[in-house]
Amino acid sequence: MNKTGLIFFPAFDWAISPTHPEREERLLYTRDQIFEEGILDNPRITEYKPRLADLEDIERVHFCVPDVVSQTTNAHLISVGSALKLGDALKNGEIKNGFAMVRPPGHHAMRVVHGNRGFCNINNEAILVEYLRSKYGIRRIAIVDTDVHHGDGTQDIFYHDPDILFISMHQDGRTIFPGTGFVDEAGGPGAYLKTINIPLPTGMTDDGFLKVWREIIKPALDIFQPELIINSAGQDNHFTDPLANMKVTANGYAKLTEELKPDLAVLEGGYAVETALPYVNLAILLALAGEDYSCVIEPQRHKADLRQARDVSLTIDKLIAYWQDRLNQATPDKESLFGKDRRYKRQRSIFYDTDHILEKQLETVEYCPDCLGLYQVSSSAPRELGKGYSIRGISIPLYACNSCQERAYEYWERIKVNNIRKVEYDVLYLQDKKNNRYLKESR
Amino acid sequence: MDIGIDIGGTYTDGVVMQDNEVISYAKIPTGQDITVSIRQVLEQIVSGINKKKVDRLVLSTTLITNLLAQERKFPVGLILLPGPGVNPRTLRIKGKSIIIRGAIDYRGRIIETLDEQEVKKAVEQLLLEGIEYIGVACKFCQRNPLLEEEIVKIIKEDYPQIKCLASNQVHGLLNWVRRANGTVYQLMVATEYQFFIDQINKTLEQYDLTCPVFILKADGGTIPLGISAQHPLEGIFSGPTASMLGGLAAGGEDLTTVVMDIGGTTTDLGLILKGVPLQAAKGAIINTYPIPSRALAVSSLALGGDTSLNITNKKVCLGKRLGCAYCLGGPHLTITDALVYLGLSEIGDISLAKAKMESWAYQHDLVPQKLAEEALELFLDALEEKLENIFRQWEEEPAYRVWQLLSAKVDRPRTIVCIGGPAKDLGELWGEKKGWNVVIPQYASVANAIGTALAKTTLRLDFFADTQQKIYSTNIGGVHGRVTNISKLEGARDFSKHLFQEIRQKWNIIDEEVEIIYEEGFNIIRGWETAGKIFQIGLQTPPGLKGYMSKGGEI
Repeated sequence: MNKTGLIFFPAFDWAISPTHPEREERLLYTRDQIFEEGILDNPRITEYKPRLADLEDIERVHFCVPDVVSQTTNAHLISVGSALKLGDALKNGEIKNGFAMVRPPGHHAMRVVHGNRGFCNINNEAILVEYLRSKYGIRRIAIVDTDVHHGDGTQDIFYHDPDILFISMHQDGRTIFPGTGFVDEAGGPGAYLKTINIPLPTGMTDDGFLKVWREIIKPALDIFQPELIINSAGQDNHFTDPLANMKVTANGYAKLTEELKPDLAVLEGGYAVETALPYVNLAILLALAGEDYSCVIEPQRHKADLRQARDVSLTIDKLIAYWQDRLNQATPDKESLFGKDRRYKRQRSIFYDTDHILEKQLETVEYCPDCLGLYQVSSSAPRELGKGYSIRGISIPLYACNSCQERAYEYWERIKVNNIRKVEYDVLYLQDKKNNRYLKESR
Repeated sequence: MDIGIDIGGTYTDGVVMQDNEVISYAKIPTGQDITVSIRQVLEQIVSGINKKKVDRLVLSTTLITNLLAQERKFPVGLILLPGPGVNPRTLRIKGKSIIIRGAIDYRGRIIETLDEQEVKKAVEQLLLEGIEYIGVACKFCQRNPLLEEEIVKIIKEDYPQIKCLASNQVHGLLNWVRRANGTVYQLMVATEYQFFIDQINKTLEQYDLTCPVFILKADGGTIPLGISAQHPLEGIFSGPTASMLGGLAAGGEDLTTVVMDIGGTTTDLGLILKGVPLQAAKGAIINTYPIPSRALAVSSLALGGDTSLNITNKKVCLGKRLGCAYCLGGPHLTITDALVYLGLSEIGDISLAKAKMESWAYQHDLVPQKLAEEALELFLDALEEKLENIFRQWEEEPAYRVWQLLSAKVDRPRTIVCIGGPAKDLGELWGEKKGWNVVIPQYASVANAIGTALAKTTLRLDFFADTQQKIYSTNIGGVHGRVTNISKLEGARDFSKHLFQEIRQKWNIIDEEVEIIYEEGFNIIRGWETAGKIFQIGLQTPPGLKGYMSKGGEI
């Protein structure tokens, strides 16, 4: 099958707020350009109708506080549902690859969701990955995030999962939201080096962009040998993006897409609604369909200075050397990484920029020689306005061993009883991915 | 009274309708000269009626389809202004084309100016190739026709012998490939079509018919004959459109149904949803070239009543049409003969079908009864597969707004209206096997003419306005321009309604309501400030038919 599946869902009737970057207008000119090109008549491209995701698809990934309905609108369910639909079309052999050109985006949404962060409530790619794994038994999936912002949500969700390789290339967190994505964030003890962060200097051009792909990402993929590649196709590395400082062109994005050959691409950020999105979206679509994209040349390009400064090139070269070296080193064994107490603990504060929430979180992962081990989280997020919640969640991995699964249910019973005796949490969650069973107890 | 005449490839049908009843009808073989055929039909159907009481005459004609199929003798050239985007050399664009500089963006801004010398060079190159008709197509010309207009001006001044047409005058749809093809095709048919219009006017004069005349459009509406000269491509696919409307007329208002029209070699299938025929999502395609005209979503099955029966490896299979059915004196056994043999149809001479079916089956060591049944089974399987495709295409139509996706869906129909040849018998077989409701129109043989007579003059306006750029554009060729003094949705709505009213008067639509199909406004935000608004408003006269056959529609 040589078709490229497309779901175009511009959500012309949904916005975060009337003047927010994530507003109705965002994909309007993309619509104009793509329709005007007549590209949808191309027999290599099949347009699909979006659909809504089920609540279960979201509960498989997130602890939505206090529930999925409060954290999502129909637009969110359609945006992620579109990705799932293309996933089905891919697995049914109807298409060779697919592009969910949809909004709202999702890659900043973490496992626990108290509100909107970086314009995201639920994580489109993570929900897609878990859906494909649970429905089709695919095991190894790589996610390559080419948005200019660190895909911190996707990183968080798969941080302890060795079957998912998450690679994010982004503008250095010291100069842009969300301020994370440094090389030392390289996965939990059970999934060491299954998270690869490439923080890039401002002013990177197509040259640097493609060099990083060819010299870090591609070798990492070659080592990992994924069954499926998903691209978080943010478009804000573009030289005209108002929220970032990179110099990548539509052709640069298309070239990367052509070489990466993602099975599924999902639009993430990109807020140059006129100067970038119509051209980048078109170029990526053409690259996926195997069509010539070389004539997709932004009108602003001849006016822009698209040369890469020498120090930028040097920083990129250093990063490449660093990662090549690290990828070639032997991975320490899991047991030693978990350490003496055989338990990984992480305490964090997470800031929700859009909704102004400061979440405090404690995660624990138990060492298990036979599976990923049980994951637990407790989290509270007091709010200045409105009700804040405190929650506790347990997650049973998809390929959990029987003993971890049994223990999870013991914990579940215990925390329920404890919470009746002394009310500590507003909501309790048990996420049993293995049995596709999602339990919740609210106060 | 309304007169409907459907000029098909094989037959020309005509009816006179009064109060949704057929008061006279005729069916004659279509001749070489279609105006003669029209005359012959009129002769038969209007002889006894008071011509002063005829309100209108609607024609559905294969003329345009035929002209396009012939691939006209004169070559047409295209001057293309693609700007940034898909490589224009890879596009399916009809005719010899030359790509030049000059580009407009989605907001209607000029992002690259013309080079006059390059324009002239392109024209001269086309002239050298013997081209006398030149189309001009620029991306986003509906948002700003200036570059196209400049080129037309240059050609008119310097090369008066050339007939040229700009794509902004052809259609306003956002799809420049379709507009470019539409421009080429329109140039190809324009002269002959004008000749046809003149002939029709003369003919009607001879018959003292002074009523307004309309042409059936591919989308199931009609357009005044005079105005159709500017939009000749709207009249394509008249046959299938007329039969869908004929099915609707018989089925009645608000009906959700499949319409099946079985001919000799092909079967046309369409959907009617709550009384409205389903439109093709993207528009029409002629000879594999997509064009901008809207058309009903009619799918064809390459099987018909005359489809021949073959045997390979002791199994029956379906072949090509080799002539009419054996029971009607044809050369070979057909689907129709299978029906006749099994006593499911009364077409032709059953003894012929019986004798041939038996000798043929025994010759191959097969049971004739089983052979006939299996042949029909194959037909019904193909029908089922096609219907599944049609339903899926309908259900998979893209949606770009949350409300569209959440709005209530119409269930798949379980009714079939059967028109033409052995449609009644195959329809009944299908109905019996699948538990469908089967509707057989009373005047099935002239259903196309009935559908034509009852077609409404419909108008659809997709209005787009950009208050920052101060432009508006529409789906209709030539209807675009500057807009000032609009800042709110109400203002845009009034403006578009006014525009709609103007066109409606030109189109002779008097007694129809205006429906708002959609309306939306977008804030253009630049640097956290509102820099303007973009409005999109869809207006239409309600679709459907002028009337529906009263109880007599069904037998």
